Amino acid sequence: MEAERGLDATLKRIEAIVAALDSDSLGLDEALALFEEGVGHLRRAQEFLAMAELRVEELIGREGEEVREFREPGQGDRDAGDDS
Amino acid sequence: MSDPTLDLFGDAPPGDGGEARRDGGRRPPPPRSEPEARSLPAPRVWTVRQVNRAVRLQLEQTLPQLWVGGEMANFRRQRSGHCYFTLKDDAAQLRCVMFRREAVRLPADPEEGMTLKVFGGLTLYEARGVYQLVVAKVEAESEGGMWKLAFDRLASRLDAEGLTDPGRKRPLPAFPNRVGIVSSPTSAALKDVIAVVGRRAPWVRLLVRSTRVQGQGAGAEIAAAISSLASRDVDVVIVARGGGSIEDLWGFNEEPVARAVAASPVPVVSGVGHETDVTICDLVADLRAATPSAAAEAVAPDRKAVAGVLQGLGRRLGKGLAAQARSRRWRLDQAGDMLVRRGRRRLAVSRARLDAAGARMSDTVRRRIRHESGRLAEVAAAMDALSPLSTLARGYALPLDGEGRLLRGVRDFTPGRDFGLRVVDGNVPCEVTGPALGAPLPDAGAVAFESGSTRHGS
Repeated sequence: MEAERGLDATLKRIEAIVAALDSDSLGLDEALALFEEGVGHLRRAQEFLAMAELRVEELIGREGEEVREFREPGQGDRDAGDDS
Repeated sequence: MSDPTLDLFGDAPPGDGGEARRDGGRRPPPPRSEPEARSLPAPRVWTVRQVNRAVRLQLEQTLPQLWVGGEMANFRRQRSGHCYFTLKDDAAQLRCVMFRREAVRLPADPEEGMTLKVFGGLTLYEARGVYQLVVAKVEAESEGGMWKLAFDRLASRLDAEGLTDPGRKRPLPAFPNRVGIVSSPTSAALKDVIAVVGRRAPWVRLLVRSTRVQGQGAGAEIAAAISSLASRDVDVVIVARGGGSIEDLWGFNEEPVARAVAASPVPVVSGVGHETDVTICDLVADLRAATPSAAAEAVAPDRKAVAGVLQGLGRRLGKGLAAQARSRRWRLDQAGDMLVRRGRRRLAVSRARLDAAGARMSDTVRRRIRHESGRLAEVAAAMDALSPLSTLARGYALPLDGEGRLLRGVRDFTPGRDFGLRVVDGNVPCEVTGPALGAPLPDAGAVAFESGSTRHGS
């Protein structure tokens, strides 16, 4: 779930929850529900960080219309001048 | 080398074409090869074309390619792409042409009066009879040369447009999800970026758009790569290339790259070259990193830092909830205290009143009870005396109609009427068999006696 949502969105949601909890306008039930939601996000975010593995993809095609797993070209098709 | 001038302006006219003399021969062929020369032995008349061709060949074949230093004047770039200018010093001028094939490599048009060093070969333009230097390379004498000139010129134009304005720089996303990379697919720069992101933020997805990063046309390719990544839902774009000479890095100094960076809807981080290399791409980018690795570090938050952020958020969540609970408990305590205080006060008053009332009441009640119980005893005695049960026990009976009403006199006993006779231990169904006779009661004893005669059982 965090992968689709993105870590940034998750952290923003938790921050919004913290801000709400710091305000005075909440009912106790609401506060508890928000707290639980926040803790859930936190736990999933931590799992997400622990389990994540780098994915490198490549945009190919003339207009960059296709995405595939990135493979470094073999030494044979090294472009002249791409020495850096 | 013999003096070519002597041959050229000697008696011998040139041959019928330069092709025959590509062998590098310095002598024109003998005049007898020319038909008109045979018919007109003297004087030998050259055509203009022959002269110009002869001179051109002499020029091209006798002077090697050379470097010429001088001051730039009248630079013109024609629509065809060819460039014309004059190189001069205080005493002389030299016409120069730079054909399109070479001119496209010129990073910028040289400025009037610039001190230049040009490399090329001399020739003669036969149609006009002017000789000129065909230029292959132009270098400015000033530091950085033409590259610096071009750089400065584009930079100041971009400055004027506000594209390098610090206020235009966008902050990088704190926790990017997807990162685009523009780089050469085989480059160390790309490997560095992948390694750094993988170490610091392995949850990030990298999207690579391969491109040539140097050579003719690299700028346009880099620009296209930036644009195509920017439209692919990435949060930030890294432009990465290792160090190199200014010529190697030139693609990143070209205007299309600057335009693509400026037009990118997401922030662009430029990690091009080493610390000391500054490119146009660096100037327009939202962040200039010294190296590709530094660019990756700027983009990828460290996982430890993220873990710290998560911890902090967790603590704040806990505190927030505790504060909510505390504020509620306080309010509850307040309300409770108030209730208790008020209740106590009211209770004290009530209790005093209750006590007083109780005290008063108990006296009254006791008196009353004494009084009432005395009366109760009397009533009980009276009731006992009045009770029909004791009378019945003594042998009297009560005639009662169907509804339990007492039949009291002769009038009530109409002939044929059913009635019950209530005796001490039950009911006796009776019927009046004939007209009753009226008679006054003699005395109590007589009634008792007569009733005694009608007794049943007992």
